Amino acid sequence: MSSLLEVQGVSVTFDGFRAINNLSFQIGMPEMRAVIGPNGAGKTTFMDIVTGKTRPDTGSVRWGDLGHSLLSMSEAQIAQAGIGRKFQRPTVFEDQSVHDNLRVALKKPRGPIAAILDRTTDTDRARIAEIAEEIGMAGHLGTRAGILSHGQKQWLEIGMLLAQDPKLLLVDEPAAGMTTEEREHTTALLKRLAETHAVVVVEHDMEFVRRLDCRVTVLHEGAVLAEGSLEHVMADDRVVDVYLGR
Amino acid sequence: MSIFTQNRSVRIFIGILVLFTLGVTVMSEAYGTGAISVSFTKVLGMTLCLCLAALAMDLVWGYCGILSLGHFAFFGLGGYGIGMWLMTARTEAVVRANLAGGVIPPTEAEVSQATALQIFSVVGAEDWPWMWAASDSLFLSLVLIVAVPGLLALVFGWLAFRSRVTGVYLSILTQAMTLALSLYLFQNDTGLRGNNGLSGLQNIPGADAIGQDRISIWFFWASAVALGLAYVAAAWLISSKFGNIIRGIRDDEQRVRFLGYRVESYKLFVFTLTGILCGVAGALYYPQAGIINPDEIAPIASIYLAVWVAIGGRGRLYGAVIGAAVVSLLSTYFTGGRAPDIALGAFRIEWVDWWPVLLGLGFVLVTLFAPKGLGGLVDYIVRKDRA
Amino acid sequence: MHLLRRIAISLAISVFLMPSARAQEASLQDILQTHIEEIADPSRRTVGETLDALVATGHPDLPEFLTRWQSREAWQRDADGLFVYVEDEDADPLVLLDISTGETVGEAGSREVTQLRPNGGVRRVIGGALVQFQLGAEDPAARLDALEAIGDDPDESHLPLIEARLEVEEDAAIHARLDVLLPTLLIAFAEDDADRVAAIQTLDGNVSLDARSTLNRVLTTSRFVDAELPADINIAAILTPGTGALPRDEAYAMLVSAELAPARISREDQRAVLAANIVEGRVGGVPVATLNTEAARDRAYAALVAEGLTEPIPTEQDVNAALNAHVFFDAYSEPSAIVTEAARATLDNIETRVGAYRFFDLSLDGISLASIYFLAAIGLAITFGVMGVINMAHGEFIMIGAYTGYVVQTLIADYTLSIAVALPLAFLVTFALGVLMERSVIRWLYHRPLETLLATFGISIALQQIVRQIFGTQARPFTPPDWLAGSVTINDVISISSIRIAIFLLGVIFFIALWLILNRTRLGLEVRAVTQNPAMAASMGINPDRINMLTFGLGSGIAGIAGVAIGLFAQVVPDMGSNYIVQSFMTVVVGGVGNVFGTLVGASMIGGLQKSIEWFNPTNTLAAQTYMILFVILFIQFRPRGIIALRGRAAGD
Repeated sequence: MSSLLEVQGVSVTFDGFRAINNLSFQIGMPEMRAVIGPNGAGKTTFMDIVTGKTRPDTGSVRWGDLGHSLLSMSEAQIAQAGIGRKFQRPTVFEDQSVHDNLRVALKKPRGPIAAILDRTTDTDRARIAEIAEEIGMAGHLGTRAGILSHGQKQWLEIGMLLAQDPKLLLVDEPAAGMTTEEREHTTALLKRLAETHAVVVVEHDMEFVRRLDCRVTVLHEGAVLAEGSLEHVMADDRVVDVYLGR
Repeated sequence: MSIFTQNRSVRIFIGILVLFTLGVTVMSEAYGTGAISVSFTKVLGMTLCLCLAALAMDLVWGYCGILSLGHFAFFGLGGYGIGMWLMTARTEAVVRANLAGGVIPPTEAEVSQATALQIFSVVGAEDWPWMWAASDSLFLSLVLIVAVPGLLALVFGWLAFRSRVTGVYLSILTQAMTLALSLYLFQNDTGLRGNNGLSGLQNIPGADAIGQDRISIWFFWASAVALGLAYVAAAWLISSKFGNIIRGIRDDEQRVRFLGYRVESYKLFVFTLTGILCGVAGALYYPQAGIINPDEIAPIASIYLAVWVAIGGRGRLYGAVIGAAVVSLLSTYFTGGRAPDIALGAFRIEWVDWWPVLLGLGFVLVTLFAPKGLGGLVDYIVRKDRA
Repeated sequence: MHLLRRIAISLAISVFLMPSARAQEASLQDILQTHIEEIADPSRRTVGETLDALVATGHPDLPEFLTRWQSREAWQRDADGLFVYVEDEDADPLVLLDISTGETVGEAGSREVTQLRPNGGVRRVIGGALVQFQLGAEDPAARLDALEAIGDDPDESHLPLIEARLEVEEDAAIHARLDVLLPTLLIAFAEDDADRVAAIQTLDGNVSLDARSTLNRVLTTSRFVDAELPADINIAAILTPGTGALPRDEAYAMLVSAELAPARISREDQRAVLAANIVEGRVGGVPVATLNTEAARDRAYAALVAEGLTEPIPTEQDVNAALNAHVFFDAYSEPSAIVTEAARATLDNIETRVGAYRFFDLSLDGISLASIYFLAAIGLAITFGVMGVINMAHGEFIMIGAYTGYVVQTLIADYTLSIAVALPLAFLVTFALGVLMERSVIRWLYHRPLETLLATFGISIALQQIVRQIFGTQARPFTPPDWLAGSVTINDVISISSIRIAIFLLGVIFFIALWLILNRTRLGLEVRAVTQNPAMAASMGINPDRINMLTFGLGSGIAGIAGVAIGLFAQVVPDMGSNYIVQSFMTVVVGGVGNVFGTLVGASMIGGLQKSIEWFNPTNTLAAQTYMILFVILFIQFRPRGIIALRGRAAGD
């Protein structure tokens, strides 16, 4: 299993506050990884660094077999390279229909001219229908995204992530606001994706993490505290301390 | 074009525009009953140009979320571009006529020199400034009308979007650009006749025999055609995936970026395209207005443009057009001294004076109570109609 | 020379020491009668002593008599030797007037009286005595006038007077003038070059305009052309035609006007010659209709030359040859090279010093402009910088502040008092307006900054128009009190108006006060809490509504005070606010949003920059503004968050 993303010794400071402290992280393909940790452990900042939103002060972030540095790339380039992100708060284009949201996300040339000349082909239509089916919105393609429920927006954003067809999926709290049934569906979907993709799931909900049944990385104060199976990390005293606040 | 079959508002808009144009033509002095005077034909033609500029403003602000306070500067640049040609050609014709009376026929150099003297003596200069180099060629001038606003928008936009200046900061920066441009034009020694501006632009070279009555209606047609074409093109653009993307940028720039789109390129594309549209609108407007000076480019003009779009309802193409048409025509009506004053005993409300107050408070009310503007009203009526 | 000096010094001393009361004892006529011979028929040698004696009396009517005597307007009655003036020289008979009272003393035919006609030498001595009177006048202004008169028309005889005056003069301004006038006269009249050089050197370091113009006068040059360089002339520079100092056309024009070369013919002249030689529709065989190119005209002209009908035009080779055959040079009108060299060296020294002073003066200008920008922007630093509200009506608050000052001044006559009242009143008025605006409009738009921009723009044009309705479009007078109207002048280079100093001080006070309010008071703490996290602040018991209202009021009120200050030097017109709004926003953005210190830095940078650009092109402030704005636009590219930028999550990115 070759390494898809390799983060080495990354640190970042905001106004004297060390959000990420000499963090190293590695994920291969295909693989499912859950990242857990208390509030302020640096989970979101970690994603920000990988997706290019935040530039680290030190350290390296390498991508793919060739080990390209992501640090010199813009957010758009990183996304085009195959890193997709789902935000903690669902962010979809509320003013546009579900169909259009998916269409914008669909993996196609990203330039302005290409966008102007873009025509929805049969393949596109089929793919959008397939994703809509997957996220349970086949009947809602014409609905304006703004009037969807919180859970539906979560689904739509996952759908957009699928439409991008990335190699690495960074998924921030996918199960928040979902019913039990939906959670099971999400778990199944993520597990299936992890067969062909690298998937990083940030989650608070231990039950959800347990069901993912994958390697777990515990972050604390911007650094990796422990890594291994859920049973393994939960047996670690330091992890217990952090979670129980002792 | 499929845009007609798919988009009802485009069909309606083009229909209304065609009817309006026919109506004005039938009532014009040159080709009809004469119910509409030459000067009012010009006002209507100019209004169409303002609608075109507002359309551009709506694309850049209403659809892409960039509140540019500089688009009227592009409009002015277009006006200056055509103005240079009009003024040169017209003055040259006059100068030739004068020199022809001499004993010896004039040389080209003498004509050019005398023309320059005629144009620039008002600012104490007698040589052609470099920026007039293309003014003797209509073709080159037309190229410049597109190229100069386009290039300025491209360079400015590239700088601003590259460093991710957004929101109100970008508005302030565009306003600064506009101010710098108008201050530059205000200087006597920068070659565009300082605060005198360019004048006599209503005189079309080689068309002396054709009266203003016909010229005014021709320009009216040209403005209507330009507006119609731009409307269809804009509707087509925003109905494409490009439209989805720029609306995405307006609502959540960061999300679009994480989908792999270079937001800067899209913004730059829209900014430049609309800058060019404004330049073309200006080039059609000023021959009808007859005069252009740096005051036209002052920052306040660009704010007015934004206000029209806000009142009309941004994010709707017809909203921008309605806003520009309603506000500018009402302004013409009230400040033109045509509106009857209201006598309140000893006090007398004179519209010329109180119109700006009313207008200003109108903006406030629309912003507070009708964020969707007049276009929102149209939507409401149409929906009701369907239901 | 020695004689003159002796007279002058004694005159000076006598005039100065003489108590004027003594003069009343005898009438001037009596005094004059004791010197009747010398006055009636003065000689250059003896008149000095006579004047000496006359001046010694210190009689108040004497200057008038001396003036008339000098200008040949005094007469003597032959019968009794009485000195008189006449009413009208051309009348017959002449009406004679008393020299003291001006009353008519009688009439006389032109043969019965003799006009006093002192010769040139005598008149000059009299003039010296007269100047002495003026130089000794009680009124400093009169003394300064006398010095100006001497400066305008210097004479050798003034030299001792100036020297004498220099020793006793106590008025600093007059003394400074004398310090320059003495070397000026020495340079002009001293016989020995060493003396003149010494005089020049006494001016070293004197940056006054007088000193510089004195030296420049020594260095006056004229431009000559000649076949070869003359030997006996003080050359300033030899010029090469075709260089910046002497363009080729100008050089050839010199040759032409010196009749050293034939004139070149301009296209216009050529055309006139051609027009004058039209024969049967042709000029030199070329049809007139084809004369619309320069080539055709040249051909026709050449034909005319060949026929001998006109002069040939010198060719380029001719012109070059003529230019090469002559030497062009600038020569000093001052013949002595030692003197011009000394003057050049001294002037260079002075100019270096002037340059340094100018730089200092420019810095003062920059600081004062920065203070104005700071004052104009400081209110925005709060409403926009701290609260994030784009208030396009900010400029109108400044305008309303200025109008408040004007209104107060119409009610309170005392300018100082009226400003003391206007400052707090302007604050109250604009504070109230600001609160009203915040409550009625802005608070609904906190999450829609771009729409705030439009709404406040609407308010801005409405306010402008309302003020225009009330006060009219023309500028309203808002006058600073006398103590603010003047300026502090350090020398001829450095001067700064008092009002600018006051604005600078006001800026400093504002800065300190605001910094204290925002960083050291409960209100400041609450303001920062509300702007950073309204929900959290609310849960801590802070009322965000109240804080927003007060903060916006504070920012608006400060704009009002700034308006009073700005109104004192700028025109108070309804649209004055729009002159400040864009610059103010740029100041806040460049400095960095969210802190008062950033605004200070932004204002300093923009003000300093604009003045620096003006330094290169002082006549064009519009260009300076243009380039300053362009610089700001570029600057924002590199520091989008301003100079003093907040980093990280607090900056809200």
